[in-house]
Amino acid sequence: MWQWLTPPTPWDEAELGAIASLSIDALPPLPPDPTNAVADDLAAAEFGHALFFEPRLSDNGMISCSTCHQPIRYFTDGLPRGVALGMSKRNTPTIVGSAYSPWMYWDGRRDSQWSQALAPLEDPNEHGTSRMRVLSLVASEPAYRERYEALFGGPPSLLEPAEIDRAFANIGKAIAAYERLLMPGRSKFDDYAAHLAAGGDYREQAYLDDDELHGLRLFMGKGRCTECHNGPLFTNNEFHNTGLLSLPGELPDRGRSDGRRLVEADPFNCLGAFNDDPGRACPELRYVRTGVELIGATRTPSLRNIAHTAPYQSKGQHATLAEVIQHYDVAPLAMIGHNEAEPLGLKPWERDRIEAFLDTLSAPPATDPGWLQAPPAERWRR
Amino acid sequence: MASAFLRTGLIVAIALLTLPRAYGHGGVVEEYDLCVINIGYLKAHFKIYVPQESGHEQYCEDIPVRGESIFVMEYLHEGLSEAAIDFRIIENTTGKGTFARLADVEAIEDLDAITVRYEPPSTVPEVFTLLQGFEADGEYIGIVTAATADGGKRYTAVFPFEVGYTGIGYWPWIVAAVLVLQLNYWLMSRRRARRAGAAVALLAGVALVHGASASELADAEWTSRDGRFVVQVEPELEPLVINRIHAWTLRLKTADGAPVTDATLSIEGGMPEHDHGLPTAPRVVSTDGEGGYRIEGMRFHMRGAWEVDVSIDGGGPSDVVTIEFTL
Repeated sequence: MWQWLTPPTPWDEAELGAIASLSIDALPPLPPDPTNAVADDLAAAEFGHALFFEPRLSDNGMISCSTCHQPIRYFTDGLPRGVALGMSKRNTPTIVGSAYSPWMYWDGRRDSQWSQALAPLEDPNEHGTSRMRVLSLVASEPAYRERYEALFGGPPSLLEPAEIDRAFANIGKAIAAYERLLMPGRSKFDDYAAHLAAGGDYREQAYLDDDELHGLRLFMGKGRCTECHNGPLFTNNEFHNTGLLSLPGELPDRGRSDGRRLVEADPFNCLGAFNDDPGRACPELRYVRTGVELIGATRTPSLRNIAHTAPYQSKGQHATLAEVIQHYDVAPLAMIGHNEAEPLGLKPWERDRIEAFLDTLSAPPATDPGWLQAPPAERWRR
Repeated sequence: MASAFLRTGLIVAIALLTLPRAYGHGGVVEEYDLCVINIGYLKAHFKIYVPQESGHEQYCEDIPVRGESIFVMEYLHEGLSEAAIDFRIIENTTGKGTFARLADVEAIEDLDAITVRYEPPSTVPEVFTLLQGFEADGEYIGIVTAATADGGKRYTAVFPFEVGYTGIGYWPWIVAAVLVLQLNYWLMSRRRARRAGAAVALLAGVALVHGASASELADAEWTSRDGRFVVQVEPELEPLVINRIHAWTLRLKTADGAPVTDATLSIEGGMPEHDHGLPTAPRVVSTDGEGGYRIEGMRFHMRGAWEVDVSIDGGGPSDVVTIEFTL
């Protein structure tokens, strides 16, 4: 109990290094995406912006990407699992900062932002449309058609299957150009890290209060959170089995075990015909890991804005952060595969303090507000 | 192939039988996790959950609570990944209770009449799962058949079980716990030896809080276990940081300094303190003919002590070199 009363102590060298490694100031510039020729093209981002908010890209004319990836909720939807035409298989993850990840989806079944953007369009539970209908809309809406032609050198071809697939991939590439602009903003924690780096007082309450400081130490130490939630985005983007329970009426989620097979079979993957990089380096896909460690493993999510993106886990199994922390504290045996986590032996107040620290990671995206809402309709519909 | 089978089986067996807290926290009471189904010579780790009723509680055969039950078979034999598996649950009308055997099931004339659930053959990699709701207590028999991919040989396993049954004897658990304790003791003594090495590496690397310096790694020389080779590595990432995929160049010499140009290298590794491997599967993509080997696909996903194990097959007896560093 006495531990509860002790004030936070100064950081040692290793802890200072760890704090610096988590700061947004350690985030490298967004690496180029050579698989997408229009990745950093402003006109493509504007086109992608319009497509992202376009409800006509759905079977019932009411579902857009922003139905589930809502800007006001940090591009999540506040639901256990996404709800569009039907219910999605898993929880809606944020898009902010996803340009840094080599893998998309909880199971990494897509390996680029642009190939990911295609899948929900044809998922019967999500947009429920088809590539032909998507391309027909782009071809028939003058503003879309003009922009498409300017970017990709001609109207979308609707004749040959391979050309249809290429034009469909282009739609994903425009959406990805937009998504690349959604970058994490500067949080209270990042200001504290900068203050420390400048030699400031470790206990300056204007940045983090004592509970949050205790929480930060637990986060990096006893809580063992940085084993997976590391780097400035608080994720290693790797796949880990954390022993989650299956939902009623469902089998346990096979996670990366299936995701790895799916991404290797995906015609839109890095090694496929629609990668714009003739070199096709694709190191992540070429040297992808296989094996029993991947059974039931899902991708580590970023913790930036985590306090505002409940519910949690791949199927929304946990309603609150307290439940999540409790789960990792207990580290139950996995239903399938092997839970990598080990019991932590956290005290109740230690769990509370980790939660308090997680609340310091919130900040609006570092993106011009114009990008965070639907573009003016008159620009895109005539 | 046989060694691959053995290795996979061993990894799964170790992962399943010595779950992590058994190492780190000495608690084995929860680790009586020793339920194996034998389908002919094909073995799988077998367990049943009723997640909505009893959460993470796992059962070996009898299910004390009614509800949605999930049957799990984690293959201990790679052959099951390619086998067509079918799963049948019947009411136990043999009159032999938990002593019913395959012969008793084969003697049943109309299996379909008492079938509660039949899942037709399917091929599922690595782990098989099946969901079945039980609304009433009762005696059942599970019948698992596996038809192997080569020539379709069929093997069958039969396991009687009860739903709602609570009077389970404790002796199988005690036997299992003793076995796990013994295995654990054996593994921990091996692990301690490895840890001692890792601790030295950790001490050496403790100052490198921002990631190891690739040039410092390049300055080191590593001698293989049997002393037959000397290795240097040059990561193409400076500083060497986590979560970035990159390539290494490895220079291979014999103990007396002659470049080895035509060895076959295979790369494994991981974090000994965390019991996990590399997040990628790196391999040699080219050689420069002067003892330099380009290894692509290196990535490290956590700060801490890492090791990369390079197996070297250079004609004579193979050897392995372990490269240790801290990120």
